[in-house]
Amino acid sequence: MGVSAPPKEADRLKTTVDENARISDEFDSEGEASEGSELSEVATEEGGGSSGDEDASTSDGSGLDDDDEGEKGGSGEEAEARGSSSDDEDASATDNDGLDSVEGSGDSDSERSRVFEESDSSEDELLEIQLEMFPWSGTRMSHILDMTLKGRITKKERQDKLDSFLANVDDSKNWRKIYDDYNDEDVELTKEEAKMISRLLNGKAPHAEFDPYAPYVDWFKWDDAIHPLSNAPEPKRRFIPSKWEAKKVFVVKYVRAIRKGLIKFDKPKEEPRFYMLWGDDSGAADKTNHLSYIPAQSQSYQGPVVSISTEVSGEWIASGSTDGTVRIWEVESGRCRKVWQFDEAVHYVAWNPMPELPILAVSVGQDAYLLNTGVGNEETQRKLGELLYVEAAKVSDDSNNPICSWIQDDEHGGIKLRHAKTVSSVEWHRKGDYFSTIMPADILFLLLFSLAIFRLYASAFYVALTCLSRESKSVMIHQLSKKLTQRLPFKLKGIAVSSVFHPTRSIFFAVTKKNVRVYDLLKQKLIKKLETGLREVSSIAIHPGGDNVILGSREGKLCWFDMDLSSKPYKILKSHSKDVTNVAFHRSYPLFASSSDDGTAYVFHGMVYSDLNQNPLIVPLEILRGHTTFNGRGVMDCKFHPRQPWLFTAGADSSIKLYCHN
Amino acid sequence: MDVDMDERQIQARFVTKLNPPFKAPPSAITIPATVTRLGLSTIVNSLLKAGDPEWETQPFDFLIDGELVRMSLDRFLLAKGISAEKTLEIEYIKAVVPRKEEEPSLHDDWVSAVDGSCSRFILTGCYDGFGRVWKGAGVCSHILEGHTDVITSVSIINPLGIINHLLYSTTASKDQTLRLWKMDSEEGVDDVPAKIRPFKILRGHSASVGSVAVDLCTKQICSGSWDCRVNLWQTDVSSAEGDSVSIKKRKTKNGTEEPQLECFQGAPVSTLVGHTQQVSSLVWPELDTIYSASWDHTIRRWDAETGKDVSSIICGRPFNCLSVGGEGSTLVAAGGSTPILRIWDPRKPGTSAPVYQFSSHTSWISACQWHSKSWFHLLSASYDGKVMLWDLRTAWPVSVIESHEDKVLCADWWKEDCVISGGRDSKLRISSGVPVL
Repeated sequence: MGVSAPPKEADRLKTTVDENARISDEFDSEGEASEGSELSEVATEEGGGSSGDEDASTSDGSGLDDDDEGEKGGSGEEAEARGSSSDDEDASATDNDGLDSVEGSGDSDSERSRVFEESDSSEDELLEIQLEMFPWSGTRMSHILDMTLKGRITKKERQDKLDSFLANVDDSKNWRKIYDDYNDEDVELTKEEAKMISRLLNGKAPHAEFDPYAPYVDWFKWDDAIHPLSNAPEPKRRFIPSKWEAKKVFVVKYVRAIRKGLIKFDKPKEEPRFYMLWGDDSGAADKTNHLSYIPAQSQSYQGPVVSISTEVSGEWIASGSTDGTVRIWEVESGRCRKVWQFDEAVHYVAWNPMPELPILAVSVGQDAYLLNTGVGNEETQRKLGELLYVEAAKVSDDSNNPICSWIQDDEHGGIKLRHAKTVSSVEWHRKGDYFSTIMPADILFLLLFSLAIFRLYASAFYVALTCLSRESKSVMIHQLSKKLTQRLPFKLKGIAVSSVFHPTRSIFFAVTKKNVRVYDLLKQKLIKKLETGLREVSSIAIHPGGDNVILGSREGKLCWFDMDLSSKPYKILKSHSKDVTNVAFHRSYPLFASSSDDGTAYVFHGMVYSDLNQNPLIVPLEILRGHTTFNGRGVMDCKFHPRQPWLFTAGADSSIKLYCHN
Repeated sequence: MDVDMDERQIQARFVTKLNPPFKAPPSAITIPATVTRLGLSTIVNSLLKAGDPEWETQPFDFLIDGELVRMSLDRFLLAKGISAEKTLEIEYIKAVVPRKEEEPSLHDDWVSAVDGSCSRFILTGCYDGFGRVWKGAGVCSHILEGHTDVITSVSIINPLGIINHLLYSTTASKDQTLRLWKMDSEEGVDDVPAKIRPFKILRGHSASVGSVAVDLCTKQICSGSWDCRVNLWQTDVSSAEGDSVSIKKRKTKNGTEEPQLECFQGAPVSTLVGHTQQVSSLVWPELDTIYSASWDHTIRRWDAETGKDVSSIICGRPFNCLSVGGEGSTLVAAGGSTPILRIWDPRKPGTSAPVYQFSSHTSWISACQWHSKSWFHLLSASYDGKVMLWDLRTAWPVSVIESHEDKVLCADWWKEDCVISGGRDSKLRISSGVPVL
């Protein structure tokens, strides 16, 4: 038999087949011709096997002869069929299938179940009995066996759609019929099943007798329990130090470093939180309750107005611009009264705080000018003429090198104080005799000052410069009546940014980029050092009471210092998105303001109580918009009117604005 | 009534206090309720035309129960709660609208002050430091030379009693002085204006003088300044009037040779202290009462005899201008660094709230002035470039004069029917033909 030399992939089933084959080897040789698939061979062998058994039974008795014949005939038919279907198995199978289904459309379930039982191939007797029960021809039977044992389950042919429709129309129970795809049959649901389905569709429990709201029975006995539910011992993790807390120590270090300003971050980019829903805000000026009032001829400025200063009575205001002009305006009408033209950009203007000394101090390039404003009657003018007169160029020198020279300047009508370096700001003492000038660095550094791009670069230079200068060469104090100049007799550890005199006592505030040093000029000693924690201080203002200081910084922050409280800031207000250019206190009203390069000025209510136990009250009041930014510069300066709650702002858009409350 | 019900009709009778050519027949007529001021004016004009064929049409304003009609009649009646059933009595007055805009009088600089109290002249102060006297639109008769700084305020000392053609005036300036001037009203009739030097310089302020006012009876002057004081000065005009001829002689004799020698230095008679900021405006309506407005947000009333502060009005804003007039010459009108013109009644006890507030301006108010004869009319000038005429009987401006191209700095009435105003366009504008009375 060809089966005796099986291919390599034959499995255990194959070996059993071989055994069967050996048994039936001598009995019959009909199966030799078959060269089909393994399974069909198995089927034939089994068929042969069964016939072999049958053979044994024939040898036993003769009563079963008819059966034997029939069986033999069956096997013979089978062999015939196989012979015909040996070349194209699949095609014949489908043919047979088709025949089967067409002819045997009335096949009952019992037949199919019998077919499945056949595949067990162990209960041969049962098979025989069932075979007997069917009076069909052997040919047909063998076909069924063949198809089933190939592993295919024949499916019922679905009815024609038209037929099924016609059949269903008449059937009143049609709605309950479902086609079961798994078992390939039509199932008719009972009424109970239909109800169950409808309940499931409604999201209820499938059984009607189920009570979803049954009373809760607490089976646990809670009373009189003396032990906890879990008697597990304390876990180890509660006794060993936390790794997270160990990390936190570093975090605290970082936080402190950030607060001290040792670690610097890039400024977060602030996006505008609001946008105009209904177009531009050209009409916004009308809607705000502020009167924006632009003095006349202010447009005649060519460059940004960098500094303004009000006269002590509030009648006049002076302004300086980068185009080299210094102007005096009448506040009430906005009339320009006087203009001086200088060769270099004006950095700072300051009006003398004494009403009988209408002198304007101006810093232009390397010079500080003291100008006669021409305000006042003849006698005042005569006095001023005497005061602003230097016989010869007077050079003030402490040591061997001159630090400042006083020169009569007839062109502008005043005195010129020639400094060694660029003068950035001028501040008067309250009595109008002393004034201080600041020379932060060379003009190169000043330019770098304003350019944020080179800030890092510049600060590196500053450090170097700081190391070099052992005493403060950058802050000068001048006396107008004696035409004297002296250096601030203290060491300034850092680059001087600004300076200011105490409003009532002889105390001097020297502002460097990182901190503020407070000196007593009479006792000649350092009183206090204010730690700002800011990256770069830009401006300072002192409350008229003298105990509170505000600082503006280049990162857009405002620091309020209560000097009685601490040398650390009492409050830090992060209000502006760009550099704060100036801060100002009102002389009589509880107001302070800050101006910034973002084009806005903020007005705050800053109440200082005479009761030392009460902290100052700071309330932001108003954001004043109105200046347009120009080359990245916005509002360059802000000053309060000395007597009215009005704020003057000077902008890079070459205009000065006056904001009033309405 | 055979009317369609869509349009309500009102029985009305037109009455007036005007003189006979303006008197309409007093019989009641039926008018539609939707008629506005223009319609009413047309009706009255046609009524007058029926009585007088030569009648020339002119605008009228209408009063119902003492309020000016500024909307359609039915809305007005609804707003005021007046019954439309009864016969309505409508009073008509001449509309206060300037008829004519005179030629501008050109100055060399901004016009800072103007005084029209004298019906024959207009006195102006200018930012170039000169005072000017105008006889009419564009006709300058005198130039007052002497101040070294901006003239801030001017006042005519004898507007009514011009004796021997002599006009006295005073000017205040930012050079901290006041100067008194005397001019012959007959001079300068030609094209060339006469140049006048001051006959007296009043020194005593330590800061810019911002305002000046004159008592018409005693010819005394009070002046307010940036040094927060109000100084009272004796002008000697009344005494000088007796020998005005001799003064004139001396003037003509020495002429322009040594005019400075002619200047007498004056010192203040007394000083009123109390203000804490600039005194911006002064009024001296009666012999013993001086009103002063200041940037310290107060208006004070002073007793000129004792120099005591009698009463004060407090407002939250600095004041720029002040005027006293109206009913019984007691209402105080003032404006300042706010667009609202406020009017107080000091006779009302226990309140400092203004009785009227007019808020049509859009910028600071620079000047306000009551009409000298009317109880109801006043004008205001503002930095928004407008001069507005107000009637107390309505909340809207009766008339808006927009002849200036820039801020208006000063304004006044002249000859009772003209509005004169000066501003930053260096022009003195005269709007004539304002029929207030």
